[in-house]
Amino acid sequence: MIVSILTAALVVAGISSALALVISLIDLVVNNYGEVRIDINDGKKNLTVKGGAPLLGTLGENGIFIPSSCGGRATCGVCKVKVLSDVGPHLPTELPFMSQKEIADNIRLSCQIKLKADIRISIPDELFAIERYRARVEKITPVTYDTEHITLALLEPSHMTYQAGQFAQLAIPPYEDVKGETIRAYSFASPPSSADKVEFIIRYVPGGLATTYVHRHLTEGQELAVIGPMGEFGLHEGHADMICIAGGSGLAPIRSILIDMHEKGIAKNSIWFFFGAVAGRDLYAVDEFHALEKAWPIFHFVPALSAPAESDKWEGETGLITQVTEKYMKEKMDAAVPKEAYLCGSPGMIDASIKVLRAGGVPDDRIYYDKFS
Amino acid sequence: MKMSPELEHARRAMQPGAISKEGFFGQDDRPLPDIISRDEEEMSRLGLDFDEVAARLTELIRAGTSAYGSPVEYQAWRVTTEEARGSIPCPFRDGRFPKRATTIVHTTSGASLIVSDLALHLLAAHHFLQGKGAPFRLEPQAIKKVLGK
Repeated sequence: MIVSILTAALVVAGISSALALVISLIDLVVNNYGEVRIDINDGKKNLTVKGGAPLLGTLGENGIFIPSSCGGRATCGVCKVKVLSDVGPHLPTELPFMSQKEIADNIRLSCQIKLKADIRISIPDELFAIERYRARVEKITPVTYDTEHITLALLEPSHMTYQAGQFAQLAIPPYEDVKGETIRAYSFASPPSSADKVEFIIRYVPGGLATTYVHRHLTEGQELAVIGPMGEFGLHEGHADMICIAGGSGLAPIRSILIDMHEKGIAKNSIWFFFGAVAGRDLYAVDEFHALEKAWPIFHFVPALSAPAESDKWEGETGLITQVTEKYMKEKMDAAVPKEAYLCGSPGMIDASIKVLRAGGVPDDRIYYDKFS
Repeated sequence: MKMSPELEHARRAMQPGAISKEGFFGQDDRPLPDIISRDEEEMSRLGLDFDEVAARLTELIRAGTSAYGSPVEYQAWRVTTEEARGSIPCPFRDGRFPKRATTIVHTTSGASLIVSDLALHLLAAHHFLQGKGAPFRLEPQAIKKVLGK
């Protein structure tokens, strides 16, 4: 009886193994796409790669980093490239992220394109400058109850060239239930002069995959990958009154721009930085910017609280940051001087700021912003 | 119960660590269609209409957004909307939503509810209020208390 059971089990195991072998062999034949050529920007760069893998990851393995926030899981819709050759119709996983025009132009999610044959793609030239850096967490400084200032020392490559106002992506490693790498974008808080170190200001988002890691697991001394630089937000030329408006962690790119300007001696007619927070517990970097104000006569720092707590004993400006900006534009600035504005914060704050700035005579093409979207 | 490929994809995307750290099910181990149908029954029992609830919550979120993080008194409610950078996709793959959470407090009763933009979309478009214990579950009883229905 026992011999019969063992024999049956061995037979079943044998058949299963044989079937697995057959499936593996078929997979090797059917899914073996051999070498595939990727032509990027009409031959500006040509890659010969092993076929079968998604375009996004294959480009990354070859040093070309297409911005992506979800690491190739088709949930962010960021990794768009223009495909110039026929790779079949858009997949259902791509369509939610595409406009009609993008579909007509064959814009595709590079994470959803499987490399089965030679392919021609077009990407913005600046993406060639993006690299993946190994970095070590040098310092983690809590600046409010839910916001940390992170300093990373770059290891390999050891220097990054970027413009003040740009951003990079942090590659958060798998942890707890989070199976894959999580990619999230954060603006540089540091000036480009610190080329061997990059700084970020990161606010905790309840339930956030990346910020939960940064705030609960990241430790000084550990390694973290940084991919960058990216983005077009930054300083524009002109001798205008420069108005900067930020809220929360939106201070980061403004800080980068202002420190860079001060270091390089870049002048404007005047520079006003309006930094909004709800209560005292949300406010940070106040001493740093007041010190900059003392050292830089054209610079004015105006922090404001919209709902200060009694315990804050707040004596500064009170109200929504847009209301405070409007007041200063009317009472403190010369209407005859041309103005330009740099905004970073929530879409609500930016939309309201744009209305105030327009009403104050700032032309739309001189309002630059980095929306939290 | 066998689910459609689309529901199966959504179920996987709702697991902890996929789209959000905590996921969409909390401690609820019921199948996704069961959670939806039981909440539809509960909403109906309480006299709550999904479309009407969604319209009212949308109005309250809009009121809160105008103050970028500060509390706003709006009709019978105190509304506070906090927004983080980026957006979050719907697990049913039909849109992306700001990472925005609005705390709605009925000023008379003190009853409160936290509504994320994604949770509102899940309610309006999919009748999915999330599993019991999920951080952004919209409990029908809590909706009724806060909206004063």
